[in-house]
Amino acid sequence: MDRRGRILVTCLVTGALIAPVLFDADGYPLSTYPMYSRARSEVVTLATAQAIDADGSPRTLSLRIVGESDDPLIVAGELRTAISDGRAEQRCAEIASRAIGWSGLPDDAVAIEVVTERHDVVDRALGGDSLAERTVHARCEVSS
Amino acid sequence: MTVATPDVGESADLPSRSFPPGRQLWVVDVEAPPQRLAAFRILSGSFAIAYLLIRLPAFVELSSRSAGFEGSGLAWFLAGPVAPWVVVATIAVTIAAGVGYTTGAAFRLTGPVFAFGVLALTSYRGSWGQLLHFENLVTIHLLIVSLSPAADRWSFDDRRRRRRGVVRPERSPTAYGWPLALASLVVVLTYVIAGVAKLRYGGVEWIFGDTLRNHVAYSAARLDLLGGTPSPVAGWVVGLDVAWPVVAGASVLIELAAPIALLGGRWRTGWVVAVWLMHAGILVFMLVGFPYPLFLVAFAPFYRLERLGRLVGVRRVTAPGDVADVSGRP
Repeated sequence: MDRRGRILVTCLVTGALIAPVLFDADGYPLSTYPMYSRARSEVVTLATAQAIDADGSPRTLSLRIVGESDDPLIVAGELRTAISDGRAEQRCAEIASRAIGWSGLPDDAVAIEVVTERHDVVDRALGGDSLAERTVHARCEVSS
Repeated sequence: MTVATPDVGESADLPSRSFPPGRQLWVVDVEAPPQRLAAFRILSGSFAIAYLLIRLPAFVELSSRSAGFEGSGLAWFLAGPVAPWVVVATIAVTIAAGVGYTTGAAFRLTGPVFAFGVLALTSYRGSWGQLLHFENLVTIHLLIVSLSPAADRWSFDDRRRRRRGVVRPERSPTAYGWPLALASLVVVLTYVIAGVAKLRYGGVEWIFGDTLRNHVAYSAARLDLLGGTPSPVAGWVVGLDVAWPVVAGASVLIELAAPIALLGGRWRTGWVVAVWLMHAGILVFMLVGFPYPLFLVAFAPFYRLERLGRLVGVRRVTAPGDVADVSGRP
């Protein structure tokens, strides 16, 4: 490729990379790279799924049971999307079917709940009580 | 212009003259020996294949999904999930092409197939509600290398040409230097955009407020609630109130200062060390790994990679048709 061609391609690549910034449109593989860029307060709403034991207490599952992945970004992102798309019941059933065969499921687990919880994450990191609010989006029974 | 020169009859070689050390400010005029581009082909291909193999269960699992699809990237035109066999076939073809890309076998075919295969797979994986932004850079690098003459040396294609006595294509050193400089420019722009995003979306509060500390605490809480294991030092660092504005300011400065890497020399290496430490900090404090920069492959196009040949015992060849002859310099 001659010099003019190289200049043209370089400009096109540069323009393609900058375009998402100009149009504020995140995509793939051209992105605005918004990860960790938004202001975040100490009080945050997080999506998760939990086992509920006979006493009604929530118990933690595992990344793989909740989202069939060991990547928390994927598990959290997809669960959040499922809740906002109104697919919490379906996701709950999928999680329950995985949890039934899971050795870590508490013996007295009676249900799986897909929830969003509001926490003061700084208090939580420092070992304090952090839960401010808990919303159940879906509940499905399990018998281990 | 492409100049045909006789084959020198060697199976492997090193450039016979030294090229300027890594200054890439004028992207289109950067010169490099073919071995430098070949080394980046091998590094980027090895990284991408390893990444695909390690993440293979996650990609295979995509074939059984049915709900929650919203096409992104190369999958933007899909109205819904594709048939499971299409996902499995794409994975198989991409990994097979990746071996060809990395070893330089039938590179004109395997190179683009691998790069677009990775783009397709990562696009499809990102179409279920969560984009992984660390996949962007490696994918763009693969696309650049796949469309460049990266298999002119240190490749099965070159070896086959030599064995058959076929005339080897010789090109201007800019044919090898420009793709590397373009890859470097992409790295620089990526970090600048990430720095701009923090100021654009987070404002100065991102630096002078508690945003970064809260991100670290948020990552720990998210992992904890989802059943993972948060960073053991998260609680400790969240308590270091005074340090966060300094760390946040340094992070934004490092990202916005990325263009100095194009100056080469100590500026480049200083920036690479700083950005690597930033990623190492993200890994330690948040357990969020950006493997492409952490393994330094992202920064490889800034460096004289042909030197890696000496580490693996590649011989120096000074013969007609080698780099010194096509550059017209001693």
